[in-house]
Amino acid sequence: MEIQGRNIGFTYDGESSPVFSGLDFTIRGPGFVSLFGLSGSGKSTLARIIGSELEASEGTVRITGASRILYSHNNERLPGWCSLENHLASVTPNGRARLLKRLSVEFGVENLLHGRFAGLSMGQKNRVNMLRYLVQDFDILIADEVLANVDEPTRNHILRIIKSTFPDRTFIYISHNAPEVAKFSRTVLVLGSAGNRSEITEISGLDLISDDSGARESLRKTALRLLELASVHDSAAMTPGRRQPSV
Amino acid sequence: MFKRLLQFLIIYTAALAALWAAKYGAGLSDYLVPSPGEVLDIAKQKSVIYLAALLNTTGIATTGHAAALLLAVAVGLAASRGNVLGSLVRMAAFNLQAYPVVAVAPIIFLFLGDGMASRILIAALICYFPLLLNFIGIFSQPVPEVEHFFSNTGRTTWKLEIGIRCFENMDKLITVTAGSCTLAMVGAIVAEFLAATHGIGYIIRKALYQSSLAKILVCLFLIGLASSLYLSGVELLGKKLKQRLEGL
Repeated sequence: MEIQGRNIGFTYDGESSPVFSGLDFTIRGPGFVSLFGLSGSGKSTLARIIGSELEASEGTVRITGASRILYSHNNERLPGWCSLENHLASVTPNGRARLLKRLSVEFGVENLLHGRFAGLSMGQKNRVNMLRYLVQDFDILIADEVLANVDEPTRNHILRIIKSTFPDRTFIYISHNAPEVAKFSRTVLVLGSAGNRSEITEISGLDLISDDSGARESLRKTALRLLELASVHDSAAMTPGRRQPSV
Repeated sequence: MFKRLLQFLIIYTAALAALWAAKYGAGLSDYLVPSPGEVLDIAKQKSVIYLAALLNTTGIATTGHAAALLLAVAVGLAASRGNVLGSLVRMAAFNLQAYPVVAVAPIIFLFLGDGMASRILIAALICYFPLLLNFIGIFSQPVPEVEHFFSNTGRTTWKLEIGIRCFENMDKLITVTAGSCTLAMVGAIVAEFLAATHGIGYIIRKALYQSSLAKILVCLFLIGLASSLYLSGVELLGKKLKQRLEGL
């Protein structure tokens, strides 16, 4: 699986300045790839372009070896007229009931499924939403801050489960948490701008599945490098009038 | 339910108090503004006849309201489609609603006479367009936070979209439907006032010809009571439906 972006640019309707322009990148799967950058750097916009939710204003995205791409984000809600278990049962493809059951236990939501979505906390809502995406047919799952409201230990556990359960799939993960991105990603694409130029810098993550106390120093260095890259690059991205990408 | 009734009673009492304050303050004659005793006498003498007329009017209003609701849902669904028919229906709805229905009422009476059909049709038409415009808005407005998953996974159907939009806008649907109750009552009374031979509007027309403000005041009291009860009933039904759908 390979996603190739060439000279990608995007400008929102009615805006004079682009979110980014001239971006070149290559994402190779399977595995856990992250998009990292400060708010407004264009992570969500780029993810939506990769997921065909938006059309790039310029440039092309070519995806080979993958046909089913899903894009999920943390503002999604489940229908409120039925219980969570009824909704999940209705959207779970045949033969995935066991996977659904196992993931609901691992995600710590199995006891909540008889209730309604409105009765969940923000973190629980994130987990249930992620759960329903994971049981779908997909080659690439773009997870745009999907666990943003989940506490850190639970989030780490969920990411480990996802990585170990779906080693043959590609995940494009978006998060503002530098240590988390550094720890779980095989590759991190850092988005930002240098002057008027948009840039993507690719760096290697630690790609861990289990806790490795020996990797603490590497983790710290990688996380710091990510923050450094995002901050340096993004000094021009926060200029007034620049539209913040939203989902 | 009692909140609506109480609101009406407060407003009605305040209006009567102001009227009688003006009467006794400015020394207006009983011919122009009846005394409280005269209003009470009229209420005692005519209450049965007026209540029957009121029930007749309320029946017309509820029938017209139900017809308008059904039609607004059907046309709203057609207008919510993204095809040519949907665009045509939307355009027609937005243009037609600008025309005052009361102005068309004489034509309805000419064709259908002064019976029940004319009254139902006018009541329905008066509450139909506000319902339709709101329904078109609700049925056509996507709820991306809920619909995204279904479109992303190829599960979107028109029925599902409408279901999501109705559920997510349940409060608005209930408010619009309840609000149109009053319009249906207005439509029925206007029709009766214009040309019909039954109903509380017809009683008011006769009272006007007799220059009897006492009769009009009693009719207004009954109309207020009926409207408040009707509105409260629809709101209560909507609340129960919402609670049921939300599993509360």
